[in-house]
Amino acid sequence: MSLLGKRLTRVLLSSSILCFFAVFAGAAENTSQIVQVKIGAILASNQGDEFDARLAPLEKQLRVMKYRSYRLLKEESQKVQRKGNATFEIPGGRSLVVTPQDSGTKQLALRVHLQQGGKPLIDTTVRLNSGGNFLLGGPPHEGGALVISISATAQ
Amino acid sequence: MTMMKRCEDIRDRIGAWMDGELSRSGAEEVRVHLESCPACCEERRQLEKLQASLRAVLVAGPSNVSFERFWSGVEQRINRKRVWHEDFFGWARDLSTPPQLAWLVPAVIILVLMGVFSLESFFPGSRLAVRRNNFAAVESIDGFGRNVAVLRENETKTTIIWLYQNQEGEDESTGEKTDASPSF
Repeated sequence: MSLLGKRLTRVLLSSSILCFFAVFAGAAENTSQIVQVKIGAILASNQGDEFDARLAPLEKQLRVMKYRSYRLLKEESQKVQRKGNATFEIPGGRSLVVTPQDSGTKQLALRVHLQQGGKPLIDTTVRLNSGGNFLLGGPPHEGGALVISISATAQ
Repeated sequence: MTMMKRCEDIRDRIGAWMDGELSRSGAEEVRVHLESCPACCEERRQLEKLQASLRAVLVAGPSNVSFERFWSGVEQRINRKRVWHEDFFGWARDLSTPPQLAWLVPAVIILVLMGVFSLESFFPGSRLAVRRNNFAAVESIDGFGRNVAVLRENETKTTIIWLYQNQEGEDESTGEKTDASPSF
């Protein structure tokens, strides 16, 4: 290999290594302060066999609960700063407060507080991947049970 | 030592004897034997003929070859200034030859793996990206006196937090009755 060839090889190799480290470091350091919180309030019941078409992306998750009918009552999305509160009105006079906690870009910790008429029903902190979701259910509603899908994505 | 064995020993040393590589006593021993043994003497003659023909070829050979064109070609190639694209193609050719290519295989594997694992960072939700464990982890939970269950379902990677109603079967706030608890 000629002298120029050796130099070119070295320069190319070292620059590509540097580029990749820079890209990865950038990805790791890319901490966004905005979190998009999306909730879906779903009525799960054994009355009828309706499955709301809008719930198709959640069907497999919802079917775990073995209810016969699922209907989307409300869907809402809010952008919130970390440590800020996103408050959602939930059918049945309930309210859900979601507070993104300090965390990395790939994982988010959410503090979720559900209350009804000023009385707290549940207070939990859940860690999930950005873009992931979990289900919170149980409160009785219109002869069935209320299930809330909560997802969060770091922006 | 038998005669045959002795001849074999002498014949092994004839070449060295002809090249003057034997000690004085060894050389004398070979010389005396050759004078008395016609078979070994014939062997010596054959070797001398072979040496003579080899010498003739080696001495005569180079004089028949003209090196002038060869050296002028070498000089021309040394003095000729190469343009950048020739250097580049030469470098690329060197890189693509098997020994130099060895670095490429692990490098490509590493780059592909890094790309796949970082795809999720740059393109969230990409189907090609390697998905991390999608389970949500419950760090703390307070049901304020109510029973709470946490279910993690493996197939759909779903985490469900279920808040059970009071033992009386009635929610204290609304008086509503659920038709059934879920059968997970």
